[in-house]
Amino acid sequence: MTIERASGANGWVPVAASEDVIPRHVFQGKLLGQELAIWRADDGYVNIWENRCLHRGVRLSIGINTGTELICQYHGWRYANRNAGCTYIPAHPADAPPRTICNRTYPVREAAGLIWTHLDAVEPAFPALTEAPLVLRAMPLRAVPAAVEAALAAWSVEGLTAEGDLRFGDGSSQLQLYVQAVDAGQSVIRGVLTGALAGQGLVVLRRLNTALTALTRQLEAEALAAPAPAPIAPVYARVSEELAEMPGLEADLADGPGKIRVTLAAKKMVANGIVSLELKPLRGVLPTFQPGAHIDVALPSGLVRQYSLVNAPGETDRYVIGVKREAQSTGGSEAIHEHLREGDLLAISEPRNNFTLRRDAAQTIFIAGGIGVTPLLAMSAALAGDGQDFQLHYFAAGQEHLAFQDRLAALGDRLTPHLGLDPAATAAKLRDILAQPGPAKQVYVCGPGPMLDATLKIAAEAGWPDNSVHFEYFKNTQTLDDSQAFEIALARSAVTLQVPAGKSILQVLRENGIKMASSCGQGACGTCKVRVLEGTPDHQDVYLNASEKASNATIMTCVSRAKTDRLILDL
Amino acid sequence: MIRLYDYDLSGNCYKVRLMLAILGLDYERKNVEFFPGKRHREPEFLAVNPLGQLPVLEDGDLRLTQSQAILTYLARAYDASGQWFPLDTPARTGQCLQWLGFADALTATASAARLADGMGFDFDGDAAREGAHKLFAVLDEHLWFHEREGHDWLVPGAAPTIADIACFPYVMLSEEGGIPREPFPAIRRWTDRVKRIPGFVVMPGIFPAILGSQ
Amino acid sequence: MSEQPDPFMLNQWFAISGLTDVGPTAKNTLLMGEKLSYRRAGDGFEVTTADGRTLPVLAQYACLWTSLGQPESGLFEIPQYHETDRRSIVAGSIGVNVSAQRGVENFLDMGHFPFVHTGILGELPHTEVKEYNVRLTEDGSEIIATECMFYQPMASTVSTEGMDVEYIYRVPHPTCSVLYKSSPLDEKRLDVIALFVQPIGPEKLRAHMVLSILDDVNADDFISHFQLHIFGQDKPILENQMPKRLPLDTRAETPIRADKSSIMYRRWLAAKGVTYGTIPAAA
Repeated sequence: MTIERASGANGWVPVAASEDVIPRHVFQGKLLGQELAIWRADDGYVNIWENRCLHRGVRLSIGINTGTELICQYHGWRYANRNAGCTYIPAHPADAPPRTICNRTYPVREAAGLIWTHLDAVEPAFPALTEAPLVLRAMPLRAVPAAVEAALAAWSVEGLTAEGDLRFGDGSSQLQLYVQAVDAGQSVIRGVLTGALAGQGLVVLRRLNTALTALTRQLEAEALAAPAPAPIAPVYARVSEELAEMPGLEADLADGPGKIRVTLAAKKMVANGIVSLELKPLRGVLPTFQPGAHIDVALPSGLVRQYSLVNAPGETDRYVIGVKREAQSTGGSEAIHEHLREGDLLAISEPRNNFTLRRDAAQTIFIAGGIGVTPLLAMSAALAGDGQDFQLHYFAAGQEHLAFQDRLAALGDRLTPHLGLDPAATAAKLRDILAQPGPAKQVYVCGPGPMLDATLKIAAEAGWPDNSVHFEYFKNTQTLDDSQAFEIALARSAVTLQVPAGKSILQVLRENGIKMASSCGQGACGTCKVRVLEGTPDHQDVYLNASEKASNATIMTCVSRAKTDRLILDL
Repeated sequence: MIRLYDYDLSGNCYKVRLMLAILGLDYERKNVEFFPGKRHREPEFLAVNPLGQLPVLEDGDLRLTQSQAILTYLARAYDASGQWFPLDTPARTGQCLQWLGFADALTATASAARLADGMGFDFDGDAAREGAHKLFAVLDEHLWFHEREGHDWLVPGAAPTIADIACFPYVMLSEEGGIPREPFPAIRRWTDRVKRIPGFVVMPGIFPAILGSQ
Repeated sequence: MSEQPDPFMLNQWFAISGLTDVGPTAKNTLLMGEKLSYRRAGDGFEVTTADGRTLPVLAQYACLWTSLGQPESGLFEIPQYHETDRRSIVAGSIGVNVSAQRGVENFLDMGHFPFVHTGILGELPHTEVKEYNVRLTEDGSEIIATECMFYQPMASTVSTEGMDVEYIYRVPHPTCSVLYKSSPLDEKRLDVIALFVQPIGPEKLRAHMVLSILDDVNADDFISHFQLHIFGQDKPILENQMPKRLPLDTRAETPIRADKSSIMYRRWLAAKGVTYGTIPAAA
């Protein structure tokens, strides 16, 4: 047997054994004074994060691993598998958390039965390893890492023969030892054994454990005789500047499509006339998303279209969207159906969420019409994961039009399809579904315009308050009137601008160098919302509900205009 | 009706409440304010237990002190399956009793450190922490090798025993006495498993395995 | 990081014991690293340092208070304390391995109720922290948060239904806070729960919880049991906060709107130059 020893100070270091990181568990680790929360998602991915919730600094290792997300024990903040982005802040159930709330992640490799990371600025070379070794029990000891390394250099295993370097039998077995520098005065010895001896399994593991325990006792006794070194001060990741003040939760200035490059990893028919696209990142990790979020997709033709993410929580290695072939396609859906092939490159935006799912409802009703099911599938999966009470009512022309059958099947009896109903029968069914409003009930509806109009009307008649009925239109089919000219004053920048007939507020703002996020450009998605401080907007969007419009507190700058001569905007 | 002389924040009382909950037994909870009131040193309670120690269990004419003894009694009296106090092999009975003794050692160390830090008891906190650290090292090694042999619990076998219930509280409350569990991953996995035993209940200082459950 | 009290902290009064726990035999405690002994002496109280210095004392709000420096004035007012139909109870004095200011910040926080005090002060899925008001008094001496509403299961003795309960929080002292909560007995009046935190060291506190309540139904033991139960649930959170000292750098942690009162508390501490138990923002 030969023994190899590797320093833990630089390069890739093992910080856990694969067997330590079991499902639905959070492993607490430490490297050079930095605490680590290490957890495995149900898809097998191992996350290594700073062991600290970004909100109040509570260790995530006392949190809950749901299999898709890690939840902080203190306030229930959720962080997604892989990208470590915050997906939900329970204190503000109606708001989407800013995407910049993202935990500090460390590089991860899982190899040779160990979980590895490094703290280097540039990724170091990964050591050559023999797979499937016997992994020793990690030996924690309160001794200076350098002293442990020195002691291991002179160490021999009692009962095993030393020949020059340590050898055993025919020399066909190899023991590799690593010192994990936990802190200035704390170490962990890790080891893997390969070759003939590994076949002895537990017998040799016990033998090595006994020998390492004896060494540990000796080293800890020596360490006690010397003054204990001061612990390494951990470096806590700072939050981004825009989060330092209380976030307005709307200031999400994404740059539109082009930000992220993805490949079309899979294109499948998932219903009559509907394809699903699976988009995987060219490199790195996709940004975090929340149920209800959409992305802009820039098509090769130059068209930009918005699609809701279908993804369930934790499904973070790809984005999944569903695209219906429209009869009167203006190029978007047809281009996707006809021309996109697996392997094609696409540019997409970061996900934006203007259709936020509250998770504090006693009961949630989802109403989907046709392809409008996509955001509601993501929402249903989120509530199903929490064991919350919900129903998904899915209106479609027929069985063959129900998209994403595998995802629907997972919902069990929480899914009710309504097939082949004409508008009158649909309205009657909606009246049934919405018959009993309640203070702790929420409704989410997405589908074609006429169905949404009907649903909102029926909900209002049944006595549902505006703020418990949430909707997302695909597009704004209203006739837009941009014939009036008016003036806008920007309160924070002390600028006054003229908006002529034929131009939107958004266009005028952008022409004047003001950075504005927008997405659909037709008052449907909510991305370009701005607060109105004074003046009366002429709302032409389909994003705000009736009471939000009546309050005149916000405006969709891509389509809406002014009834007064002047608007003062919070910009 | 079973009656438990109880103190909310005591790990030794909690292990009895935990066992009662797991066995699905109703009981009357009689609170003795150990802190800050020191009611356990007053004549009313000394008449129940002259040693002034909590918990005390009364079941009919039987009055029992010492939490490990109470667990043993509850298992023998109310667990028809014989799972919780194993008598099927002499080895398992012995192993179970061995870990009940270990639980007493945890009370003398991890619990003492917690009382010193949290409730101002005049104990040597550093000595208690050192003692607990050594016990944790032994426990972690035992559990790690047990996992490799396919055993999830302190005593070999498919199901948990009162040994797990007896050792769990003061391991789980160790951070209140400044004793970290970070160096002992097998202990951390085992405490997760205990939290998933059907009927599991919490006490202040211990969170459930499922967020927001009770 | 400062191991010595800054002037603002040095000259504060701090509660070091419930009065009922002070007897003629001297007991020891620590205040900001300084070893103190305290006892009842004649009609009054005596607090001395290890090197024989006698410190100022106050017996107020059921606690014994002292200071390592020279306090400019007496203690902040809690008017309700003087109402004759109230009882004041020291529910207990608990040590926690975290800074005093982390302890106070947790006391001001409602968002954790459903997750930490499940079934008592909150319950899933009722997690929303609604808008509330926070202000600094005109003289800058005190923070007041009003109209704080949070859903509480079994909120009153007459109802088994949950409902929103209103809280008012005051922070009149760097390590003390006073909470007012509608009384289950008389909805027009408020129960008063005060948290007086004694900084033992920069990363260690002792919390004295004093209740001034109208409740004449429940025994003191029960009320103490309830308060210690709540505090015992907070303990593992507080002891798992990193860093243990309260960071005052605005970019150290992520505030949300629900944290308005804690944001003001951190700013107020920074403005007062508090470095003991905190991590001041880099200049």
